[in-house]
Amino acid sequence: MSTARLDFLKELGNIGAGHATAALSRMLGNERFELVVPEAAMLSFGDAWDYIGGPEQVVAGIYIQVMGDAHGHMAFILPVDSALRLVEILVGGETAELDEMGLSALEEVGNIMVASYLNALSDLTGMRLMPSVPAAAVDMAGAVWQTILAGAAVSDTLTLIKTEFMTDSVAIGGHILFLPDEEGFQIIARRLGLEEL
Amino acid sequence: MQEVFVNMGQVIVLKQEGILTTVGLGSCIGLALYDPSAKVGGMGHIFLAKSRSEDDAKAFPGKYADSGVPTLVQMMVLAGARRERLVAKMAGGAHLFPKLRNNGPSVGDQNIEAVSVKLKELRIPLHGRDVAGQHGRKMRFDVISGIVIVTAIGKQPLEI
Repeated sequence: MSTARLDFLKELGNIGAGHATAALSRMLGNERFELVVPEAAMLSFGDAWDYIGGPEQVVAGIYIQVMGDAHGHMAFILPVDSALRLVEILVGGETAELDEMGLSALEEVGNIMVASYLNALSDLTGMRLMPSVPAAAVDMAGAVWQTILAGAAVSDTLTLIKTEFMTDSVAIGGHILFLPDEEGFQIIARRLGLEEL
Repeated sequence: MQEVFVNMGQVIVLKQEGILTTVGLGSCIGLALYDPSAKVGGMGHIFLAKSRSEDDAKAFPGKYADSGVPTLVQMMVLAGARRERLVAKMAGGAHLFPKLRNNGPSVGDQNIEAVSVKLKELRIPLHGRDVAGQHGRKMRFDVISGIVIVTAIGKQPLEI
């Protein structure tokens, strides 16, 4: 893959995730988040499988489909401990496990973050990008990730942008992933005047 | 004992030894085929029901139910299994995000149906299954005993 394509993807990830974590920060009383340099990748189907690592680790995953002028899929995946801390801060009190209310809170967080991410990309490109309703699940990382890949009906290669975020004072970290469909990706690239990607 | 992990889209056959394991089954199907006399066991980790192009199915036959099930059967016959002795067990096909209900059946339901249809077509009896629902699964298949154990978070291990 060309460096230009990678750099372009990273920039999208930076802008989108920057806005998403700013939204999360506001929800958490201005808790400061640190973003790790986004990782852009084109993976073969065989390599996509363990991209997010530790398939048996328990994670919370929030999955949102992207519709509008370009289609794609977004996921917000965090270790279950981080998800619990997040819910505690948002809902108040101590949370030992993620119940219905916890999952709803997570879905709302995912909703706000993804909307911010997509708004940033919309502003940049002048395209209309709309999120579906959010859906959260707590399960084995492999099962969550696999189900998202199947939802995206990934064929031979997968283009994605992953941005890791974390905070210093509370132990919350996770990944924001954007999987544009190949067609959607080309539309975004053309909008920004990048023909040869 | 040798434990071989079967990743998404793979089909692997073992003969007279080892354990075949697939972790993180969400909407995917873990399919175990077994010839109990020859002790040849095979496992597929099927991603979607149907291939969208012939090229894709050729490059990665195990990804799809329509190409993966026959491929697994062929591999087992090559390893010394007899087609008429094969029995099947399957797990997976869950719907992890029930809120994202599109029109029609979920990916998991489509996978369960496609694998079941293919097994019927190939006249392979289905001896056990733990499918659907809203949770992920792990499947371990002992090729010596033919025992298949399915585990899931917060549930007792289940022999199918």
